[in-house]
Amino acid sequence: MAQILTVSPSPHINKHHSTQSIMLDVVIGLVPAAIASFVFFRMKAVVVLASCIISCMVFEVICNCIRKKQNTLGDLSAVVTGIILAFSLPPTIPFWACIIGSGFAIVIGKMVFGGLGANIFNPAMAGRCFLTACFGGMMVSWTVPATLDNNMPKVGASSVAPAAITQATPLGLIKEALKNKSAPQDEKIAAIRGIFKNMLIGSTAGCLGETSTIALLIGGIYLIIRKTIDWIIPVAVLGSAFICAFIACELDPHHYVAPWLHLASGGLLICAFFIATDPVTAPLTKKGMWIFGAGVGALTMLIRLVGEYPEGIMFAVLLMNSVSPLIDRFTKLTPAGGKPNV
Amino acid sequence: MTFKGGVHPADSKKLSSHCAIKPVPVPKQLSIMLSQHIGAICTPLVNKKDAVTAGQLIANADAFVSAPLHSPVNGIVKDIALCSHPVLGRAQAIIIESSAENQPKQPYPARFDSTFDIAPFSAEQIFNAVRNAGIVGMGGAGFPTSVKIKANPQAPIKDIIINACECEPYITCDYRMMIEWTYQILAGAALIGKTLNCGNIYIGIECNKPDAIEIFEKAIKAAPFAVGMKIAPLHTKYPQGGERQLIKAVLNKNVPTGGVPPMIGVLVSNVATAAAIAEAVAMNSPLTHRAVTVSGHGIKNPGNFYAPIGMAVGELIELAGGLKDNAVKVILGGPMMGFAVADLSTPLTKTSGAVTVFTENDIVKRKETACIRCGRCIAGCPININPTKIAHAVKNNMLDIAQQYYLSACIECGCCTYICPADIELTGYIKTGKILVARQKKLMPK
Ligand code: SF4
Ligand code: SF4
Repeated sequence: MAQILTVSPSPHINKHHSTQSIMLDVVIGLVPAAIASFVFFRMKAVVVLASCIISCMVFEVICNCIRKKQNTLGDLSAVVTGIILAFSLPPTIPFWACIIGSGFAIVIGKMVFGGLGANIFNPAMAGRCFLTACFGGMMVSWTVPATLDNNMPKVGASSVAPAAITQATPLGLIKEALKNKSAPQDEKIAAIRGIFKNMLIGSTAGCLGETSTIALLIGGIYLIIRKTIDWIIPVAVLGSAFICAFIACELDPHHYVAPWLHLASGGLLICAFFIATDPVTAPLTKKGMWIFGAGVGALTMLIRLVGEYPEGIMFAVLLMNSVSPLIDRFTKLTPAGGKPNV
Repeated sequence: MTFKGGVHPADSKKLSSHCAIKPVPVPKQLSIMLSQHIGAICTPLVNKKDAVTAGQLIANADAFVSAPLHSPVNGIVKDIALCSHPVLGRAQAIIIESSAENQPKQPYPARFDSTFDIAPFSAEQIFNAVRNAGIVGMGGAGFPTSVKIKANPQAPIKDIIINACECEPYITCDYRMMIEWTYQILAGAALIGKTLNCGNIYIGIECNKPDAIEIFEKAIKAAPFAVGMKIAPLHTKYPQGGERQLIKAVLNKNVPTGGVPPMIGVLVSNVATAAAIAEAVAMNSPLTHRAVTVSGHGIKNPGNFYAPIGMAVGELIELAGGLKDNAVKVILGGPMMGFAVADLSTPLTKTSGAVTVFTENDIVKRKETACIRCGRCIAGCPININPTKIAHAVKNNMLDIAQQYYLSACIECGCCTYICPADIELTGYIKTGKILVARQKKLMPK
């Protein structure tokens, strides 16, 4: 027999997917939102995205070199972190801040814990948290999208003009419209309708990747159909957010925004489909995923409604990340045949 | 109804599902392993240079949980020596040199049909015939069948399930038996029912074999002895043919963890075993041959063969046209639970239903990477335990934690390793963990 036969334990076949292919799928799921960001924020979007992705990758390589570990760039997790970080930043943010945020995300958010799989917090959210702490003002200045401001530099333009008209985020605008006691009711409704339409396509102020509801939905549904992410976490996040917003709105419709407007806000969608579903920092079991998702949704709404802080997502995710090992412990599985009696 | 978890590997059965079960020319030499099954190892009853005849008893054990061995051919005992065993590494075997005048044994010798009558056989007779024929569970577990069909008044069997799932990819010998030996399988099922005085007989078939379902339906209508048997069409999902999963899917009952099906009044028997029982009872012929699928992309002419126990894997491969140049792995059994063999002189045992040959393309083995905690292994585990936690604990030598996560409940089906995107050998770690725990408890020598 000429051949040398290999021997290994069973099973002898694998499903043809890998960490890399899962991450690639996530990147593909983020493409529609990336296109939307190029349309609405043009060159600014390109700069932020490119600086986040490239610096995340560079930091990953540096860390692997220092730790004398094999290069893990191939698993594409650094790319995903870069994109999600960029998507959660305002378009006006300068590139050096992107680099600082990426550095924190990869080095402190991921690598000091031992790399992919061992990190407790979502690296992108950790990076954003750091930026919020350092440059609070920069993180809440929203430019109007290119559809409303023709001076926005085009994709490929050589200079990124800093001057830009700023505007409140759509949820802020709606809140203002609601508070305006003098305006007649139907005018208010018309204004809100207009804002809602802009939210759907993404022609609003906001973080880079969060503006277009439709683009995020397309990406999210793609991931669910491909079974790259479990449907439980998105459903739990959106469901619990809806319930919270619904209760608030029922209690005081003049003060609180209707629940479907909350759901349509891109921040919640990107969180439900792309951030909370990060497998590493979410619980392992299905029951745990329900609890985790519901917690993220409820905390986000709590921060948005009570704290009046527009961006609750980051804190909600980081908080739930920290209890995810605990959730795992409380949702320990029992074998199908019951506990063995030993 | 189905069980929770499981995976959907491509079934790849087309390679050999059209190939009828063919008798094989008598091999020159056979190695009959003394350890073929769970239970006591047999002691040889023959000596070197003894002449043996086909069907002669050559080894036996006194223990209740055991099954005797018979010679498949006329010949001479050449030696009793160590030889490669698919699971144990090396083990004792009786090596028989066959004489020239042997004729190949034809499959389906009794020509069972719808007029078969189970009335002449008493429960006692059936039990003795099964015990003397050395029948063991031929689906892979290899538990002596006589033990299972011994009626126990304390725990009567209320339901019998004939396992016709054949959920492992590539394997088609059970399927071929189902369509070629339909009445023989039904006769075996009826005989088991008679010994246990149990009329609730289900035949669990996966829905990817619609023609087998149809043939069985017709045969049950036509045969008076099979009246009342029920077909249970099941989802095509691995491991549908696992005992626990099958019982869950057919009867919606869970076998207690650490327990066995008789504890809940169920007996599961594989189709090949049922067929062997029918042959043993009706013709008094011992279990010396079995149907084997030789398949995979690394083999030239995949097919199904009726081969004597003890035949070398390599010889079967030659009958199937030989290995292709790109073949890299030979598996005794199917790709999910089979054992890779390095030595092609490894003989078939009573539980070897297949030889699967893989090429480089089939076994894209990548390097283990970090667990990304995706939970896929948990979702795929048919018995609902936490493979990643157990594997992690075993890796770090924390056996108590592995046990807290129910290491012992694992049925080693391989679903978790199959589905893991980080290519972690979860099943391998769990198997290692079980051995380490057994050693710790001093059940196993160092
Ligand atoms: S091998 Fe064990 S742990 Fe893995 S899926 Fe099968 S039963 Fe579950
Ligand atoms: S399938 Fe693999 S990567 Fe996913 S949780 Fe299980 S062990 Fe980890």
